[in-house]
Amino acid sequence: MTPRPRRQARLLVMLVLTAAALLWAIPFAWMLVASLRPESASAGEIASLIPSGDIGLDNFREAWSEGTFPLWYFNTFLMCAGILAVQCVTVSAAGYAFARLDFPGRTGIFYLFLLQLMLVPPILIVPNLTTIVSLGLYDRLPGVMAPYFASAFGTFLMRQTFRSIPRDYEDAAMLDGARLPQVIWHVLLPLARPGLAAFAIVSVSYHWNEFLWPLIALSSPANQVLTVGLASFTSGAESATEWGVIAAGTLLVAAPLILIFVVFQRRIVSSFVFTGIK
Amino acid sequence: MLKPWRAAFAAAAGMLICAGTARAATDIDLYFPVPVQGKLVIEIRQLIGEFNKEHPDIHVTAVYTGSYDDTNLKTAAAIKAGDPPAAVIMSANFVRSYEINHLAIPLDPLIEKDGMTPKSFMTEFWPALADNAMVDGHVYGVPFQNSTPLLYYSVDAFKSAGLDPSHPPVTWRDFITDAKKLTVVKNGTVARYGFEMPGTYDYLGWIVSGLAMSDGGQYFNHDYGGEVYYDQPSTLGAVMLLDEMVNKLHVMPPGVTDANAVATAFFTGHAAMMVLSTGALTFVRSNMKSPFKVAFMPYNIHPAAPIGGGSLIIPQGNSPARVAAAWTLIKWLVSPDIAGRWSRFTGYFAPRIAAYDLPEMKSYLAKYPDAAVALAQLKYAVPWFDTFETVAVRKAMENQVQAVLSGRTTPQAAVAAAQAAAEALMKPYVDQTALNIPQ
Repeated sequence: MTPRPRRQARLLVMLVLTAAALLWAIPFAWMLVASLRPESASAGEIASLIPSGDIGLDNFREAWSEGTFPLWYFNTFLMCAGILAVQCVTVSAAGYAFARLDFPGRTGIFYLFLLQLMLVPPILIVPNLTTIVSLGLYDRLPGVMAPYFASAFGTFLMRQTFRSIPRDYEDAAMLDGARLPQVIWHVLLPLARPGLAAFAIVSVSYHWNEFLWPLIALSSPANQVLTVGLASFTSGAESATEWGVIAAGTLLVAAPLILIFVVFQRRIVSSFVFTGIK
Repeated sequence: MLKPWRAAFAAAAGMLICAGTARAATDIDLYFPVPVQGKLVIEIRQLIGEFNKEHPDIHVTAVYTGSYDDTNLKTAAAIKAGDPPAAVIMSANFVRSYEINHLAIPLDPLIEKDGMTPKSFMTEFWPALADNAMVDGHVYGVPFQNSTPLLYYSVDAFKSAGLDPSHPPVTWRDFITDAKKLTVVKNGTVARYGFEMPGTYDYLGWIVSGLAMSDGGQYFNHDYGGEVYYDQPSTLGAVMLLDEMVNKLHVMPPGVTDANAVATAFFTGHAAMMVLSTGALTFVRSNMKSPFKVAFMPYNIHPAAPIGGGSLIIPQGNSPARVAAAWTLIKWLVSPDIAGRWSRFTGYFAPRIAAYDLPEMKSYLAKYPDAAVALAQLKYAVPWFDTFETVAVRKAMENQVQAVLSGRTTPQAAVAAAQAAAEALMKPYVDQTALNIPQ
């Protein structure tokens, strides 16, 4: 008697999950279909999920020719990689300090760190801009990266990750004569890799997609990043829009992230499961 | 990957050569938002390239800065951070807040140096534009691209409803009558709405101000940034008109529709009439498969159309050399030739009157007579909404009108709530100015 209801329940769950996945996939499917549709498509056809007209890559060609994509990819890559490289060092060090070191005011300082998560980024725009102007970093990629070199979220995540690693590993290494830097480098960091990986994914996808801060902090066309570049030929305030070109441009912007996700899907999911991020 | 380095190398080489042959050019930057879609960024960079070629002593970089609101944010942040751009294409109704907050310089000294007075300078532009460009008799903005709202209507829909396409609705009475006839209900659902308009931020406030002004009102105090007339019969009437069309007659869809959805409904025959900016004219022309016409916004008391668009400003904090270079650029951008070219490219009307005396402009208007409707409407043009904290005060009204469109509040309650919210926002300014009585 028991197997049947259980199977039915499983089927129901499968159905619900499939429906949710389909719902989630619709915007992506639409983007793909719209990007392949010819420009002559009427505005009514554009809303449809079914491909129509002469399917072709014209929209991609147009998007590519309207923007300087190679330059934007390069700048965005530099920005994300630069931020991540520095963050890995700062959040691991800070995370370790909060997880393992005993110093006066540790809890208080940690909460102070967490408070930073409550700040809405736009209110920091003017102070941050003033700082990078006085450092001579305005309109330069290091200037865009600088405010993100420390990350409250990353510190929190790494602290939790380090705390979940049993102290026995460190004690064993210490007994074998390892010094603290060696313990961190050879023992803790390898064990914390899933945490770092999860943080890297969050960090890169956030900065890859960020619009407002790069728009404010960068000016020269030579320093532009993908999001700002995409907006420069797709957003229109007082008229409607060329959906096909927008869809193609958006796909071009999102493609590297989508590709990374597809290739490393299993590892990404397991990292998130490990750290409990959803 | 080669491109950036090559570009950087070329630029460096170029600078070395320039430094060798002439004294260094003044480097300035122009912030520009993208108000219409498509190849505008390329077009503006082309324009700036021409300018740079004609002016070897000035080097302008055109910097794309997002929407009008983003441009405002970036400009204000750059000024506060001490690295202001030399010139900005700013939403024309932000000019007043720049003046109030001392973020833009008055252009009078530059105008006087050219042997003109602020007044004679403004006579070069359509009279309706002066109010948004000047504050207390001083020029702070130079009109660059301007628009008015237009009523677009489908010729086929008019014919199928038994209406004469050569007689668009003129008054609100015609408007309601036609909208009712144009609405088609099939099996209990609406197959075609008589009228649609954007209900999103910025667009909504602009259209509501136009309706209030067509209802005999002022909507806001043109001469003082601390007063709005939301809770007045003229504005209430405008909101009641929308409430009637949406919630009682069902000739306009409920809820908030954005400009793209409105245009899509119009193209597919799901909307018979719509209000959009003249800036959308080129876009509608290239996307509408069946014939369409444009007309003035219908009125109740007298015709009126609010001005929209962008003006050029020079932010505070620039060196005299940069200000002089920016002024040369601004004068070049609004010269009849360039202003006319920009108008033909975008669909905006050219703010400079003399642009319309040029042969290219005459043949353009002959080819596209609908482009002349916006121009004819200028006779009835009224200034664009600008107050202290323009955006927040505008949204105070927009939030309430959106609630009316969604059937969540009544027009009376909406205008009262909007008025209260707006007054709270403007209070600091009012206390410091109109209510600041010497003791």
